[in-house]
Amino acid sequence: MYLGLFVVILPYIIRTKYIEACMNQLRALWPYVVRYRARFLLGLLTSVIATGFAVQIPQMLRIIVNEINERGIIWTDLIHSVLIMVGFSIADGIFRFGQRTLIMGTAHQVESDIREGMFKRLLELDQKFYGEHHTGDLMTRVTNDISSIRQFYGPGVSSMASAILMIVTASALMMTTNATLASIVLLLLPVVTILFVVVGGRMRLIFRKVQDLFGEVSSRAQENFSGIRTIKAYTQEVPETAEFLRVNERFRLQNVKYVLLSGLLWPTISLVMGTIGALVLLIGGRSVAAGEMTIGDLVLFNGYLAALGWPVVALGWTVDLYQQAASAAGRLGEVLQRVPTIKDESHTPVQLTVDGAIAFRNVGISVGDGDAKRTILHDISFTVEKGQTVAIVGATGGGKTTLVNLLSRVQDPTHGTVHIDGHDIRTVALSSLRDGIGYVPQDTFLFSVPVRENVTFGRPDADEADIQQALLISRLSNDVVQLPQGIDTLVGERGVTLSGGQKQRTAIARAVLRNPAILVLDDALSSVDTHTAAQILEGLRTFRSGGTAILIAQRIATVREADMIIVLHEGTIAEQGTHSELVARNGRYAAMYQREQLADAVENA
Amino acid sequence: MTVYDDEILGKAYDGRLVRRLMTFVWPYKWQLFLSIGLMVGSALVELVPPYLLRTAIDGPIASKHIDGIVPIFLIYIITLVAAFGFRYAQNYTMQVMSQKVIIDIRMVIFSHIQRMSLGFFDRNPVGRLLTRITNDVDALNEFITQGTVALLGDLVRLIFVIGMMLILSWRLALVSFIMFPVVIISTIIFQKIMRATYREMRQRLARINAYLNEQITGVLVTQLFGREPRSKEYFAEMSAKYLESQFKSNTTFAVFFPAINLISVTATAVLLLLGSQLVFAEYATIGLLVAFTLYNEQAFGPIRQLAERYNTLQSAMASSERIFGVLDTPEGILDPEHPVALPAPVRGEIVFDKVIFGYNPDEPVLKGVSFTIPAGQSVAVVGATGAGKTSLVSLMARFYDIQSGGILLDGIDIRTVPQHELRRHVGAVPQDPTCFSGTILQNIRLHDETITDERVKWAAEISGASTFIDHLPDTYQYEVRERGSNLSVGQRQLLAFARAMAFNPDVLLILDEATSSVDTETEVVMQKAVQRLLKGRTSIVIAHRLSTIRNVDRILVLHRGELVEDGSHEELLALNGFYARLYRLQYAEQLGGS
Repeated sequence: MYLGLFVVILPYIIRTKYIEACMNQLRALWPYVVRYRARFLLGLLTSVIATGFAVQIPQMLRIIVNEINERGIIWTDLIHSVLIMVGFSIADGIFRFGQRTLIMGTAHQVESDIREGMFKRLLELDQKFYGEHHTGDLMTRVTNDISSIRQFYGPGVSSMASAILMIVTASALMMTTNATLASIVLLLLPVVTILFVVVGGRMRLIFRKVQDLFGEVSSRAQENFSGIRTIKAYTQEVPETAEFLRVNERFRLQNVKYVLLSGLLWPTISLVMGTIGALVLLIGGRSVAAGEMTIGDLVLFNGYLAALGWPVVALGWTVDLYQQAASAAGRLGEVLQRVPTIKDESHTPVQLTVDGAIAFRNVGISVGDGDAKRTILHDISFTVEKGQTVAIVGATGGGKTTLVNLLSRVQDPTHGTVHIDGHDIRTVALSSLRDGIGYVPQDTFLFSVPVRENVTFGRPDADEADIQQALLISRLSNDVVQLPQGIDTLVGERGVTLSGGQKQRTAIARAVLRNPAILVLDDALSSVDTHTAAQILEGLRTFRSGGTAILIAQRIATVREADMIIVLHEGTIAEQGTHSELVARNGRYAAMYQREQLADAVENA
Repeated sequence: MTVYDDEILGKAYDGRLVRRLMTFVWPYKWQLFLSIGLMVGSALVELVPPYLLRTAIDGPIASKHIDGIVPIFLIYIITLVAAFGFRYAQNYTMQVMSQKVIIDIRMVIFSHIQRMSLGFFDRNPVGRLLTRITNDVDALNEFITQGTVALLGDLVRLIFVIGMMLILSWRLALVSFIMFPVVIISTIIFQKIMRATYREMRQRLARINAYLNEQITGVLVTQLFGREPRSKEYFAEMSAKYLESQFKSNTTFAVFFPAINLISVTATAVLLLLGSQLVFAEYATIGLLVAFTLYNEQAFGPIRQLAERYNTLQSAMASSERIFGVLDTPEGILDPEHPVALPAPVRGEIVFDKVIFGYNPDEPVLKGVSFTIPAGQSVAVVGATGAGKTSLVSLMARFYDIQSGGILLDGIDIRTVPQHELRRHVGAVPQDPTCFSGTILQNIRLHDETITDERVKWAAEISGASTFIDHLPDTYQYEVRERGSNLSVGQRQLLAFARAMAFNPDVLLILDEATSSVDTETEVVMQKAVQRLLKGRTSIVIAHRLSTIRNVDRILVLHRGELVEDGSHEELLALNGFYARLYRLQYAEQLGGS
């Protein structure tokens, strides 16, 4: 009866369309749940058994109270009844333990699976995806959103199951004891659930506003701290403080509004439950006085009322958890169902052992459509023979990084093709392609692990001799010796902070250790002093003879020895040739060279 | 960073910290007392229903007096309404009070941070300061609501229930107390296990989050070095470890909740069993026995709650420690005790006398720089990166204090003048043109309401910003987004110039950063703006533009923290030293272009 009422009222509380939308969102995660269906079902079964025992306890209370009230009871009978009651509680406890471990434990397992699934997908996704999503946003999805899913499948499902079973059996048992009294109780109990859903929903709305205002408080503070130089320069500290107080006051007032409503929830629920209890006393008490009911029956009703307090709230709570899980599932689905654009194009890609010959054929990249269309690279063609060193120079924003990124398929070109050893790289297995390329990116990224692990990142099985050689080539050997724990010193926030140059040289060692057929240095010597840079380049020439190298550089001194120099300007090849050819040409390259010589003159003055 | 902070948890009660926290609560002591009073009221009222049940069972029900129950019912309802009122009012007054306290604390931190010198901001990343003002303050809110009032509430409830039981029947009360030690001991054991498990869970989750954050930031490196399988493996390992602690916590709960339930049923059983003998011996009535089963339950609640408050207190102590750490950081740059007023009007003569300065005193950036700028003269400072140009400007506005020597404005040492007074006369246009969320108008005059709309418009015109502002959808009412993300770098620079003009300083400092992201047209506008700004005003410009250098009266050349050349453009070119070389290097291209 209670359930019937609940089912009738529910659609009015939440629109059916909305439920459908929620179902659709949750479906994205269904595979993660369905594989544990056996455990979930078993958990529900234990829940049924546990409830079967739990509902017996008020029955035993009734018997015991009646036995005491009738006085004539013998001690052993009383002990017998009491032991049975405790026995029911033990049995209930054992099955509840089963229920919790099965349902909630499985929900943790589901959470863990989804987390790993998310991580796997994040590792596959391309730079385009990462351009669209902030790190913080992705973090929230992997932590909070997954946790919402667990909350629903764990505590949500578990308490929903117990609640429904408890309500059904307790209702039936109350009905058999005293139908009138039971009807009154069962008519009033849904009020609690509805109260929870309605007030809870409204609370969430206001709470969102509270959170928005808190966000404002936080971003106000952030803006102030970031712009402190300007604020101090214009002595705006006092008005800024006043402004911050104003935002805080708005936040406080909204919070007070929230408290006005949220403070109602539990006292009101207590009031309703208490009123039901009072009615039981009034009507039940009169029945007892009239001899139609025993005191034990009255205690029984009180017992069931106490036992039903949580289930009726739990029903409302589950509705809330369900809504949160649905929107979390939507956000998780966006990542899980996102298809990586950079991947093996066919199922049988070419497994290539890269040798080092490169060809760019009419390569172009443009982004956007229509009026917003921008060309980043236009009609780039050149070839590099195995063993050659090619340098790319040119002004910032000329497309240098984009160009070298095409080689390891960080991005695919929109026009033309890139070939390595005669294969269009899109037909080559991504892993074998990247295995052949050692890459030192412009923004050095080191992991918070020891220096050794950073260096062996691309070749974890490297032997000590190879590691030492890589350190030597990248001129890192002397630095490493001076670190507190040598090569095993932890890097990053919780370890040592390496200088910009040390970081870059570590990244070079990391790439060199892989002994790749093609080495790419994207402005990777910018924080290294000229002298050391020259030594590193010299080392690379000696140790890597026969290997192809592509280097992007700002300083001409770095590139003058290259077999070929490409001057990239606004996405096209402006000049191409050897150092002497380009100097003789007296164009952009020659101008850059002259300026650099002057700069050296000033520095060395 | 916050995740790491979380791991450092000390004791749950520190008298020194609590006393200091209480100074923030004390102004609202009447609200606090009211809240405590209401809480006592609600604790008292909660004692009534079981008593009414007893009265009904032993009175009208036992004597078969059907209508005798009605007055009891009415009192019951009144009690419920009173309990509702007390609870609601108590929660409301407490929350309202704690919100006020929280904002007070937040404002104290904020205004303290406002007074800190720039050196403080160099040392403390924005993220850390934000955590202090948001998360840590929130933890204090928990302290006030959970740690003071609710803690007291649990104690009061417990004492009341025990007292009530003793008053009604000390014999039954003693029978009830048999199970108390079991509840207390099991709760303490559970809390101990859970505290360790929770900490383990938190640490493992923090590790997952830190790893995840790093992997997302460095995903490209992982992909290019083909390390995805190992990363996955490693992540799976961490995830499994976390899952393991989750299981442990889940199992603990799975044992504890049924156990508590069993203890409570057992307590009822013991009470009924032994109590029945008291009933038979007529020491107690059946109604009293039933009432006692309810009082028993009422006593268990606060015992369990008390143990949980421990965690709240512990994290509140850690947060307040961090907050007081910020509040106890001295300001760094202090106003003098007996400030000297600048002469009115300020003429604008600047003297640098053997100034030695380094952000880190061991590594001086300026190594004894001396020069005098007469009032009204405009000076350009040139030099290679790292020569100390930016420091020169920061020191003039006293963003940092020098280690030795002196900086004088109109013959007065700037350290003897209040900072706000100094900065009212010395305007600095920072290198990174800062914009704030708000309208264009607000971005120019900031919070200074004495600057009229007309003056803002005048400043925009003088600085050349009006051209782009007039083309914006709402002109001066156009909403600038956070950090000026909906304006170009050039527009932001012009806005910064307009701001400087609106404040009309006597001495002007400009960091004239040439940006590659500015188009030619804006570049021309900005050059003209700088010229107008400099005219007839004492000014120091960190010059990157040839046009600026051409328009100043004098050029100072800094090299590795020392003043190496000083003179007009022509003089320095004739000298054929640093400047001449620098000029050919940096400006030759601009010269050729224009």
